[in-house]
Amino acid sequence: MSPDPPSIPSLRSVEVLASRLRRRQVVGSRDTALETLLVLRQVITRAKFSNIDQLVGIIRAVGRRLVEAQPKEHSIGNIVRKVLHHIREEYYAATGTTASLAHPSGEFSIAKFLSQGQPRKHVLVQKSSEIRGTLREDDPDDPDSFAKGLKPVLMEALQDVLDELETVYDNIAKNAKDHVHSDEIILTLGHSKTVEAFLKSAAHYRNFTAIVPETAPSYSGRDMAKSLSSSGISTFLVPDSSIYALMSRVNKVILGAHAVLANGGMFAITGSLMAATAARAHSTPVVVCTGQFKLTPLWNLYHEYGALDFGNPNDVLGFQEADLVDKVDVVNPYYDYVRPELIDAFITNDGDHPPSSIYRLLKETYDDEDNEL
Amino acid sequence: MTKAERRELQERQRAAKLAQKSQKQGGGGPGKVQPGSGQHKKGPSGYDLVSTGKHPGPASGVATGAGGGAGSGHQGDDNALSKSRGLKIFSHFGLPKTVGHAVKGDIHPAVVRLALMFSEFEICGANARCIATLTAFKSVIQDYTTPENNTLSRHLMTHLSPQISYLVSARPMSVSMGNAIRQLKLEISGSDIDMVEQDAKDELCEKIDTYIRERILLADEVIQDLAGQKIKDGDVILTYARSSVVEKVLLNAHEEGKIFSVIVVDSRPLLEGKGLLRTLTSTNPPIPCTYTLLPALASVITEVTTVLVGAHSICANGAVYSRAGTALVAMLASNYTVPVVVCCETYKFSDSIVLDAFGKNELGAFLCFREGLFEISCWLTFMLPFTILAPAKIEHRRNDSAEPKSNLEILNPLYDLTPPTCITVVVTEVGLIPPSSISSIPAAMGRTLV
Repeated sequence: MSPDPPSIPSLRSVEVLASRLRRRQVVGSRDTALETLLVLRQVITRAKFSNIDQLVGIIRAVGRRLVEAQPKEHSIGNIVRKVLHHIREEYYAATGTTASLAHPSGEFSIAKFLSQGQPRKHVLVQKSSEIRGTLREDDPDDPDSFAKGLKPVLMEALQDVLDELETVYDNIAKNAKDHVHSDEIILTLGHSKTVEAFLKSAAHYRNFTAIVPETAPSYSGRDMAKSLSSSGISTFLVPDSSIYALMSRVNKVILGAHAVLANGGMFAITGSLMAATAARAHSTPVVVCTGQFKLTPLWNLYHEYGALDFGNPNDVLGFQEADLVDKVDVVNPYYDYVRPELIDAFITNDGDHPPSSIYRLLKETYDDEDNEL
Repeated sequence: MTKAERRELQERQRAAKLAQKSQKQGGGGPGKVQPGSGQHKKGPSGYDLVSTGKHPGPASGVATGAGGGAGSGHQGDDNALSKSRGLKIFSHFGLPKTVGHAVKGDIHPAVVRLALMFSEFEICGANARCIATLTAFKSVIQDYTTPENNTLSRHLMTHLSPQISYLVSARPMSVSMGNAIRQLKLEISGSDIDMVEQDAKDELCEKIDTYIRERILLADEVIQDLAGQKIKDGDVILTYARSSVVEKVLLNAHEEGKIFSVIVVDSRPLLEGKGLLRTLTSTNPPIPCTYTLLPALASVITEVTTVLVGAHSICANGAVYSRAGTALVAMLASNYTVPVVVCCETYKFSDSIVLDAFGKNELGAFLCFREGLFEISCWLTFMLPFTILAPAKIEHRRNDSAEPKSNLEILNPLYDLTPPTCITVVVTEVGLIPPSSISSIPAAMGRTLV
């Protein structure tokens, strides 16, 4: 390592995003992911580094800063991990080291199956041993030469991630007609942009009916119902309480996710657990539409209580009920944790997956050493 | 509103008007209305044009209403394919009725008043509705005189039937009311022909009082004691919406000095839990309460020791027909192995079997629901009860729903059915019984009583 590691860039854009995250001015997985990516791009453009470790260090530091600002928006960390993964990939490709080892996916054999998901320890050992090509790390004559050489490919890699984020809805929605069939009754919850795009895309091919509960306390289901009905889908808006009563006629429950966890469970808008459990009671399949950037290398083993994030109690019991407000505890959690047993399939921009294979996708998408930023 | 949106709206309205006119005047309309005539008026005055189009004064408002009906029929042809499915499976629910002010036939004023209160949810809940109905019928009976050449036991029922059907037209009859009325009919037909009319009437009223006292009020007191035994110090009791029996149980247990806390789970559109919250916190010292909405239930269920809910009625197979949402609460509770205790008087037992809430249900007041939908941004309006909505707004909404592109419908079932598997025990005035033994209770109590 170089004797003076570059100070963590206290870029203004990082701080601005951090404070906006903290104030919940940026919410929603995809928006935070996009913002994070744009900030990371700025950081990389301006960063001064003379070897890969410094660059990774800088990005990790920025990532930590943003994740600490809003630990519940898991997509921030995911994007940072993904960018790190891409940087390493580009680096290996540029320097010609271990690229083949890093990507054993070319040929498949059962013998390698177990090792595929294993941490690539050897990478670190071989990293600086032989450097081919034009890239030279820690060049004493020109410390910027490494950065100059690597930055163009990094920008390309970032652009790939950005493109993926921007087309995520289309890519998820493109298979919609395989999942929604004619005359089906679909129940969805809240106002997930992913599910909205999915159902609208399905509506081009199929006639189906959507049932949207209001989804208290945000009542985002109303916006969803409006939006779906305006694009020609026959929509029923119902109160949350009637989910069980209507479930016997529902063919499929399609939910959006806030974050998908390594065990195949997910965090989703409150009420999802209830809807998924009711669906299970009626043996109705539960399908989750999610972009890959929501896959999070976390295991939710201990927190069920509202997934430990709470909203404004005013939405549940307003100050109009002044006589009650000071006597009553009001609970308004943002998210539910839905166990993997309750989910039948994840529809992602990269194909459909059962909950049990999420861990494998994670191994492919992120580097293990980044799980803790 | 952008220019494009405005133009689109204008275009749509013009098309709707055109369709109406052509329907009314037998196709004479298209010649009179130039398709491009309104387009010069876009811009700043465009919005005014739209709004005047929507509220065209009282006289033409009626015409719009009538035309709207025809228009929706027309749209039915267009969208028949896409909407038929939705309409078909929900069609048996029927539409929520609004009770008209025009009273047909010989309806007692007490019944008219009661019907209005039912239809506006002023009186809500199986017990309250049953007591109110019986009380109203008492005054109907007192004001009744047997016509010449007839006997009370034969004729009174024919006098009561239109009253009952008037009540049902306001809101479908609850099972509790049905059982009580059946009992009343039995008493009427059994009353002595030779008795003086006033005595017979007094006797009937006394029987009604006995029914209210024994089957409802005393039953509630017994249930209070029995269910209260299931509450221990340190318990966390979860209840959904508002049940008069559950309220009494909780207050009674609190009075006995038991230390427990209550989680009140609630849901729109009725938000009955707020009322319960108010009574629970007005005690001294107040019962520690937590309030949350139904979707957040999963977060709080883990710390609950007992779920205590009321019932609208109980089917013969032990399934509980109750306020919509109860089934979700019971399902989650049984998933988390929390005992679900249902408090229900035996007079609410129904001898039929309903398989799911879809077969038999009642649609709630969707007016307040729609209000919330179309004025989401305006939270205050949305908190107001629907009864004080300005008629202009209702008119406005009717136009909205008649718009050709409206695929949005609102469904507000009032009840749902909790399967017996989710219920641990039913507390009745004859003891704590498992849901599987519900069918034996009416027989054990003597079939005639229920």
